[in-house]
Amino acid sequence: MHPPRPVRVVLVGFGPVGARFAEELLPEVVAGRVDLTVVGAESGDPYNRVLVAELAVGLTEKDDIVLADSDELRGSGVDVRTGVRVVAIDREARTVLLDDGTDVEYDRLVLATGARANIPTLSGVARTIRDSSTLGRLGHAAIGTDDALPTGVTVVRDLADAETIGRAVAAKQHIVVLGAGVLGLEFALLAARHGATVSVVHTGAFPMPRNLDRGGGSVLSRALRARGITLLAHSPAEGIAVHTEDDGTTRFDALYTADGKHIHGDLLVLSCGVGARAELAVTAGLRTEAGIVVDRDLRSWTDSRIYAIGDCAHIVENDGQTDTARLGGAPAGLIGPGWRQAEWLAARFAADVTGTEHSDAPPAERASVVMLKGEGIDAVSAGAISAEPWDPRIGDVEPPNVALWADPEHGRYVKMVTRDGVLEGFVSVGMPRASAELTMLFERGGELPSDRSLLLRLDAPDEPVASGTPAGPEAIICTCNAVTAGTISDAWHAGNTTVACIGKATRAGTGCGGCKDRIERIIADREATLGTPPALEVTA
Amino acid sequence: MTETATHCPYCAFQCAMTLSPAPAGSPEPLTVDGRDFPTNRGGLCKKGWTSGALLGETDRLTAPLFRTADGGFEEVEWDVALDRIAEAVRQSREEHGPDSVGIFGGGGLTNEKAYQLGKFARLALGTSRIDYNGRFCMSSAAAAANRSFGVDRGLPFPVEDLDAATTVLILGSNMADTMPPFLSHLQGARAAGGLIVVDPRRSSTARLTDDGAGLHLQPAPGTDLELLLGLLHIVIAERLVDETFIAERTTGYAALRRSVAAWWPERVQSVTGVPTDLLRRVARRLASRGGTYILTGRGVEQHVNGTDTATAAINLALVLGLPGSTDSGYGTMTGQGNGQGGREHGQKCDQLPGYRKIVDPAAREHVARVWGVDPAIIPGPGLPAVEMLASLGREGGVRTLFVHGANVVISAPNAGEVRDALTRLDLLVVSDFFLSETARYADIVLPVLQWAEEEGTMTNLEGRVVRRRKAIDPPAGARSELWILAELARRLEAPGRYDLDPALVFDELARASEGGIADYSGLSHELLDTEVAAYWPFPVGSTGTPRLFLDRFGHADGRARLVPVRATAHPERPTEPGQLTLITGRLLEHYQSGSQTRRVAELADSQPELRAEIHPTTARDRGLADGELITVENHRGTVVARVTTSTGIRPETIFLPFHFADDASANLLTSDATDPISAMPEFKTAIVTVHAIGAVAPLETVGASV
Repeated sequence: MHPPRPVRVVLVGFGPVGARFAEELLPEVVAGRVDLTVVGAESGDPYNRVLVAELAVGLTEKDDIVLADSDELRGSGVDVRTGVRVVAIDREARTVLLDDGTDVEYDRLVLATGARANIPTLSGVARTIRDSSTLGRLGHAAIGTDDALPTGVTVVRDLADAETIGRAVAAKQHIVVLGAGVLGLEFALLAARHGATVSVVHTGAFPMPRNLDRGGGSVLSRALRARGITLLAHSPAEGIAVHTEDDGTTRFDALYTADGKHIHGDLLVLSCGVGARAELAVTAGLRTEAGIVVDRDLRSWTDSRIYAIGDCAHIVENDGQTDTARLGGAPAGLIGPGWRQAEWLAARFAADVTGTEHSDAPPAERASVVMLKGEGIDAVSAGAISAEPWDPRIGDVEPPNVALWADPEHGRYVKMVTRDGVLEGFVSVGMPRASAELTMLFERGGELPSDRSLLLRLDAPDEPVASGTPAGPEAIICTCNAVTAGTISDAWHAGNTTVACIGKATRAGTGCGGCKDRIERIIADREATLGTPPALEVTA
Repeated sequence: MTETATHCPYCAFQCAMTLSPAPAGSPEPLTVDGRDFPTNRGGLCKKGWTSGALLGETDRLTAPLFRTADGGFEEVEWDVALDRIAEAVRQSREEHGPDSVGIFGGGGLTNEKAYQLGKFARLALGTSRIDYNGRFCMSSAAAAANRSFGVDRGLPFPVEDLDAATTVLILGSNMADTMPPFLSHLQGARAAGGLIVVDPRRSSTARLTDDGAGLHLQPAPGTDLELLLGLLHIVIAERLVDETFIAERTTGYAALRRSVAAWWPERVQSVTGVPTDLLRRVARRLASRGGTYILTGRGVEQHVNGTDTATAAINLALVLGLPGSTDSGYGTMTGQGNGQGGREHGQKCDQLPGYRKIVDPAAREHVARVWGVDPAIIPGPGLPAVEMLASLGREGGVRTLFVHGANVVISAPNAGEVRDALTRLDLLVVSDFFLSETARYADIVLPVLQWAEEEGTMTNLEGRVVRRRKAIDPPAGARSELWILAELARRLEAPGRYDLDPALVFDELARASEGGIADYSGLSHELLDTEVAAYWPFPVGSTGTPRLFLDRFGHADGRARLVPVRATAHPERPTEPGQLTLITGRLLEHYQSGSQTRRVAELADSQPELRAEIHPTTARDRGLADGELITVENHRGTVVARVTTSTGIRPETIFLPFHFADDASANLLTSDATDPISAMPEFKTAIVTVHAIGAVAPLETVGASV
């Protein structure tokens, strides 16, 4: 009897999420139960995109952000093909077509194509709308590729972008950042810290409008300005102006806005959010919306052999609705959920090919925590944060409870929105320890202490300890022997006037000896206030 | 007037002490004094100072006991007891095979007893079923050290080396309570502002970081692994690593680096609750010039991912180039008195003397030659502690159990199950000097000797072998375990020698360990009596090995392994409102199951009962007052405790010490899920709820202070 043929799995996309999926499925490849082909458009090993800005400014090195080793995967029997794009899916034949002209057959297809940076509507910057009619017109050239940007304009997405940005930062040039979302601000902070002049242009009244309320946003604005970043609020961008270099090429010169501002700079960094790379699914006739529409099992609504994970996956519970009404929601756009999906799907595949039960439910995600990465600056938010402390009850719906602390003068702001003690959302700016605690509680769905001010006190300086003066009588002086100041004082009154005598009488100082100077201070204090004690009675 | 130089009966620090006859009229026969020694420098803690109390008038056992029909005990003659045991063993072996008889040993037994117990199991009982309570307290650190370094010695350097350190990172150890005299070696780091303590609780050790002495990181329980991955990420990303060391003395760096690329500081913060700025400060401090040490304890190990967590700590130490130098290093804090020696000489289910693997044919050959037997008769590997306890009285499990130096009904996880399991046995034989809580379950109790009544050796947390010496005659009726094993071996017509003189047993142990990892072959009681600094390996002709990794690590190629580890979801997390995470630990006044220290009046008076430490806000939310009696419950059990509030504990966490008996045993609540590599159980993160009992019995001191 022949062993069953291995299941052919093709993974499209070799970014952080794809790499995790491949790694998780590896044991099945090694065991010969899965034939895995991985296709990645970028050449080289997958890396952690979250740290591309750090890479750009030289805070980290390429090798430090690499997440998987292609050669190692190949050594374990995975067919890894990098620097090559999948340009079409033939669902009938169950093959994918590569831009080198080859076909790869699949039993199951996993799309982990991720997201690309949004290019906003700007005069002077061309962009491609990847809807089905445009894609039909453009053909394979528009699949898995990015639009070319004018010289001096970039996004923060891949290693080439990091290089462009790195040059500008190293030359301490003026960088204009369009967009005040979390990625734009992180980049702005890093660039400013490394010597660039940075202006951030944004539409709303305060930065991170999708994640912060007015209080948090206002406090963050101050903090950003304090770090030398120029913020241009209420400034919808309209287009770019270019100038002509000596060699005849054109280059970014200024960003101009609807209210007539011209913001000159050496480099324009577009940070206007990301969108799923779903064009492959679109041309294959799979249902897409904010991404490739999959059910909670990460399986395409349209084709049960096709799965999507990570930034390209738009997860919607499939309740049988097949109409074209909008489904709502969007990919999380964060790496944590993508990794959990990759792990879960690999475990599901492994269970299928080994014929075992995979009972774990698919990962259910809470609303994600958004955290501004940056040394010395702290802004975190999560969940629903629009509620205010005095919101009225609407009909039968009780408003959530809101606790608030605002101290804009000192750059601190915290809002906690809770129901039954559990966070529904929070904003924390300028309070790193409170942020850390709230983040962890939110991720775990943990209950907040009823005294919410406890969380604020985490950021207070450590309680002052009066080390120069003797502690109260209950204070433990000798930890090794649990001897209190009172006991030591009593021993002194009984005539033990040296550290050694007190040690004999009370055992204080006879463990590690670390408290001997404190015992000396107690003796000195007693002598200063009371003179000398009665002599110790010597018994024969 | 004779003085006896010996070491403390309790923890792995093995403080040197002098025992001398007490003055007339003293209730205790001996006076205890600290003795100058490189470890404790003359200091002792409260437990050590009061250790003599158990030598005087106590409820000491002085004759073998048989369980009677009415559930009590009656005293019997030794011959009667031993004949009966031998007969029961014979019968069990005939009816159910040799693996129906098992031994549960202890990390407090001398090297000689631990060795003889392992030999007795394999040769006299013919069983593979032997393991010990060290499985509860060191196995993950041991497994991690073996995997990374190729050898496991708690501290691979003399403890005095720590004196010159300017940075010491301590994870999961509360040595200020467990081995206070150790603190003298942390004074340098404190003075330099470099003591960094990681603990969900502001423990006594964490408080040593006050006043600018260092930093306390307070991560959520069960997130040490993520914290360590985050520190690794930062030291790699910020290029704080020791590239020369990594290139010359380790393998596996590329894969390790990839494995931590996913743990950037903000992600670590969201899991641990430790802010990124603190993570960065710690990472940078660890990489600063001057001596840096990383020390881990039970807090990181007693988890289902304990081996991986200890490994992550080792990885951090390795990429910083700490191990193998004279001024930096990594070590793990051994807990029990002979936790180190106890795991080296054959009472682990998978090992033979000298830290040899029982499946290694060469090791079997060598040990069989020393024992004078055919290697084929040495059984293979048995079952680790938790699995063996679960097998008691079950089909194919152990039916007759010997317990030596352990009090499993208090110290084992999910202790309620263990209590039930003991009642399923055909025969339970417990050797102890008091009627311990486990002895109360026994069919036969054998009275044995206390530390000051016997000769032997212990191996302290540094891998340094020290002499235990006899200072006083034991009470009539109590017997050495060496004698008991010899008598039983004779009755069972076992092959091999069973010497009664500990010095002779040690000589045999030394030969059995020769060429092994923990090689004692150059040592003898006679040499140890010269107070030689006896750090193993100490092969014939050597002068010992104070620093284990100066030239090479234990793997064949001499290099340490950087082993990538992966954080996985924790098995127990609060899911319902009101649930708390239980963490367990120790008090200054008590040692292990408290069987000894709860009998010392001075210690029991200051810590008489189980107290549950919770945050004042947590208490107030539940309407609980300081001093109130509560139940702490989960699906495994219920314990009764008195509330002590403290702002030093995280609000979602509750702390219980595990030293107390009956319905005050914290381990009634802990999980017996085990680490897949070390088989060490998850003691540290059980989910519980707390409830007021109703009848309020406030402490006197609380009432008075209002």
